[in-house]
Amino acid sequence: MSSNEVKLRSKSGSIAAYSALVYIVVIFFAILAVIPFWYMFMNATWDTYSIQAGVKLWPNFGHIIEQVKANWAYLSNRSTFSFALGFKNSLIITVSSTALTVYFSALTAYGLSVYEFKGRKTIFTIIVGVMMVPTAVNITGFYRLMNAMGLLGTRWPLILPAIAAPATVFFIKQYLDTSLSKEIIEAARIDGAGEFYTFNKVCLPIMVPALATQGIFSFLGSWNNFFAPSILLTKQELKTLPLMVSMLYGDRYTDYGAIYIGLSASVFPIIIAYAFLQRYIIQGVSAGGVKE
Amino acid sequence: MARGTNTSSRHKGMSYTKFGYLFIAPFVIVYCLFSLYPLLTTFWYSGAFMQNTNASFWGFSNKEVFYDRYLDLIKIYSDFDETGINKSDYNKIKKYFAVQDLADQRDPINPEGLEAIVNNTDLSQATRDAVQQCIDTGDISYIANNEAVVEDLTTWNAGYTDLGNTVLGLLDGVNTAATEAATVAESEDSEDSITAEDILTSDNFASFLDTLQNGEFDEGQTMLMNYLADYVGAASLYDYFTAADVSVDADSFYFICANLNAPNAVLSDGSSVSAVSVPFMNDLVTYLNANTWSATVPSLSSYSEFENYHNLDKDLHSDEEILYADLESLYNMGLIIKQVKLVEDNGALVQSDVPAENILVAMRQFIDTQYVSDPVKTAAAQQIGNLNNYLSDSLNASRYELIRDGIDIDSYITFNGDFDVNKYLQFKALIGLDTVLTMDKYEELDAARKQKNVEKAQADLVDQQAKLPEVQAAYDAAVASGDQEAIDDAFGKLRAVEVAISTDESTIKRPDGIFTKADATKQYIYVGFDNFAQIFGNKNRFNYVAGAFFTTAVMWIIGFIPQILLALILSAWFTDTKLKLKGLNLMKALMYLPNVITAATIAIFFRRLFSYSTGASASPAQLFLDAIGHDRINFLAKPWPTRLIVCFINFWMWYGNTMIVLIAGITSISESLYESAQLDGANSFQTYTKITMPLLRPILLYTLVTSMIGGLQMYDIPFNLNQYPALVSFNGTYIRCSQTVLMYVNNLAFGKSSIKQVGIASAVSIILFIVTTILSVLIFFLMRDKDAAAAAKAKKLARKAGANR
Repeated sequence: MSSNEVKLRSKSGSIAAYSALVYIVVIFFAILAVIPFWYMFMNATWDTYSIQAGVKLWPNFGHIIEQVKANWAYLSNRSTFSFALGFKNSLIITVSSTALTVYFSALTAYGLSVYEFKGRKTIFTIIVGVMMVPTAVNITGFYRLMNAMGLLGTRWPLILPAIAAPATVFFIKQYLDTSLSKEIIEAARIDGAGEFYTFNKVCLPIMVPALATQGIFSFLGSWNNFFAPSILLTKQELKTLPLMVSMLYGDRYTDYGAIYIGLSASVFPIIIAYAFLQRYIIQGVSAGGVKE
Repeated sequence: MARGTNTSSRHKGMSYTKFGYLFIAPFVIVYCLFSLYPLLTTFWYSGAFMQNTNASFWGFSNKEVFYDRYLDLIKIYSDFDETGINKSDYNKIKKYFAVQDLADQRDPINPEGLEAIVNNTDLSQATRDAVQQCIDTGDISYIANNEAVVEDLTTWNAGYTDLGNTVLGLLDGVNTAATEAATVAESEDSEDSITAEDILTSDNFASFLDTLQNGEFDEGQTMLMNYLADYVGAASLYDYFTAADVSVDADSFYFICANLNAPNAVLSDGSSVSAVSVPFMNDLVTYLNANTWSATVPSLSSYSEFENYHNLDKDLHSDEEILYADLESLYNMGLIIKQVKLVEDNGALVQSDVPAENILVAMRQFIDTQYVSDPVKTAAAQQIGNLNNYLSDSLNASRYELIRDGIDIDSYITFNGDFDVNKYLQFKALIGLDTVLTMDKYEELDAARKQKNVEKAQADLVDQQAKLPEVQAAYDAAVASGDQEAIDDAFGKLRAVEVAISTDESTIKRPDGIFTKADATKQYIYVGFDNFAQIFGNKNRFNYVAGAFFTTAVMWIIGFIPQILLALILSAWFTDTKLKLKGLNLMKALMYLPNVITAATIAIFFRRLFSYSTGASASPAQLFLDAIGHDRINFLAKPWPTRLIVCFINFWMWYGNTMIVLIAGITSISESLYESAQLDGANSFQTYTKITMPLLRPILLYTLVTSMIGGLQMYDIPFNLNQYPALVSFNGTYIRCSQTVLMYVNNLAFGKSSIKQVGIASAVSIILFIVTTILSVLIFFLMRDKDAAAAAKAKKLARKAGANR
């Protein structure tokens, strides 16, 4: 009896030690995940000479605003980096492609889930199959197709293909199969609603949770996209934010404060959005894994 | 679902099923057009000899044009008198291509340029109307056939160009004046002895000011741009910045500054100015600080002043941008010696109280305020220049010859760098060669030519082989005699015969026809598996491709292993109910954060973190090395450190994602399994290995496959981390240490090289596609749970049996 108690106590003691170790490791990795961004933001508040003098993990107290302004002014003078332009371009491409992805994926998933037409199983299997096809391998063919269609030098090559997003269709269809009841559609039909009316006015609102999650991922994917824009957008006035950031490349730009503020400016909007949406994002990632 | 309800709903919904096709139609159409079609064409292009992405053809129907263009005319006329083709007719085709080349080169009806001409109010309304017609119809004859228009354009352009030349002269004057001042400084061996006086009294400066004040101009800034572009255009500057480390002493510094315009000048110790590298900048800062020049040092890192007056609307590539910045900084430094107190005041140059002013800046600003350019007129002038070059007799005799023969060549030519097969075929029909020079004819000529070459080679082979024993015997005799001269002579003869035999043999195997692919830089033809043969047959090419795959795979695997291990550990902890960890959601959110940030930003940040310099401006990594007393290391110029940085970034960005996926997988495992295990006395480790791991297998499989597909497409991080990574030997060939497959494809198809090897790039893409597919399937089958596979098979069999029944 007493030996059992001792065993229990020592066990709880070892669990405490174990969980302390776990906390240390977990906190270490949590800090590791954040520190580069912290470092960027802090350095953005310093001038080049201070940055050169040593690692800065704290803000430039007392001069934050003026130094940020000075760094920003310096950055704005550079002909290749225009935050406003990059942000605008990224926003145009991302918002329109996300809207297209979400709407048309919902439409396709609905079509596959609700209507039992001939060959729908085959089509769904094909969609699941092409999810795994590496998207970048067709770049030479895509580039030449865009050239032939006269779309090079415009934003369309990055927007139009968003209509067909196999992975998004897959996830929305999984959602529909479990959460859309056919009775609602039947009821709408009995009330005399057309099929597209039923989809747009009755079923689309039901899908909102799934659409929101998929929309967030589609938005992030498009916002962070680098490979295709770097090949397709050669005009300065169309370049997206990642392409602008890529121009900060180069060791001999000696104004480090300006580089850090450029990096910070590109990271900041994402971090803000992430702070609000992280719950949905993480749920989405979890769902993606379990579905498989 | 119960069978009964299923049939009833199907029965009811029967009339609606056709809507399903409507709903999925947009997806299917867009997918086929934007993903499937490009993929198929990539397959198609992988079988094409295609070196330029600007050709506008959708298939290989241009074979005939290709053959026409690269037919060896001499071969035809020397070998085949009976071809039935009139030489003068054939020359017309040759001239047609010459005119097309010129049109491509000059781009005489570039719409933007013509728009500028239309908007140029200096020109008469009639002229502008004619030009507008050219834009509307895409036909140049509205200008070409109208002498009045041509004359109007030419006259205006000549005046405008004179103006530009004058401004250019002014700028030369500025430069020479400043250089002279520097030379004076050099000879007097003192940086303080230069005054405004020195410059103002120099002969050249006087004449410069003369021109400046007497000229009556109101434009020319573009010429200033041209001047600067010329100045920057020296590609060697980039090279000399990236050359070996050279530190600079005081004497060299002055010499370099005075000779910035002459990168080939030689320093006192024999090294050239062009051997100066990046450390020069840093050493310079150090030197200047130690010599009380500190007031001017801050302006070294700033070229914004220069940017103000350049104010380039020109789109510079990132490389040029760096080059440009360097040039400005260096030039700025050079001007410190020539620093004088001179600024522009009411249109005149006067002494200034501001110490940081320098004369070149002042003069440039003065010119800029005096001469403001009009971009429309400059564009118009440029376009008129192109038009003139296209139309002018001296440059384009072929065009005039065709016009003289009554062929309105301009209506058969495209002017935008494209090549219109149909227009060409129309042209051929017009001169009556469409029935003579057909595909069949080419094949016939080609076959005959090959036949003839083979026969010739066979005859020669017989001769040479007959000769062989004779020369061999002569050589043996010479060796026996021991006379060195005789041996050399006999050996030469023997060798000649042997070479002739091997040449003949290869000719018989692959005789020359009338076509040659060698010149085909603009067109492409179907070559079957030639591109693949080139990749697998050429050792260097194979090593580049295999090296790119190796690099990609290595960088993926080294990042993936710690990523999956850490994710497994963390997910085990996060789901361990005994530990009762707090704040898990926050930790999860923080660890996932790197995954949502733009990879390009992260790569640029890491580049900054590890960048290298010898001077005061050090990156954190270099500061750390300083702190532990280690020599500085140029991480990004060494292969493995560069690769490991890429691996680390991948690991760091993705372990959070993998962890969340695994946590989701673990939490979906039935709680009762754990409870019964606990009752049986299993500890955490045992439950993990015996229950969690086996049940996680499908999710691990999913993670592995998706990570591999993503990993093989790695691009953003290595590309942004270092675009010109260090060379490393791979199987005897030097490859770029962190160049991934996609970077290689991009380089081949869209790189800076003037020859774009689209065919080979497509072939590499296809190999990537095949490798990815094979690996995915392989992993899937290797890692698939055997029990699950057996169960699935049994289920399938059962279903089949049920269906049969």
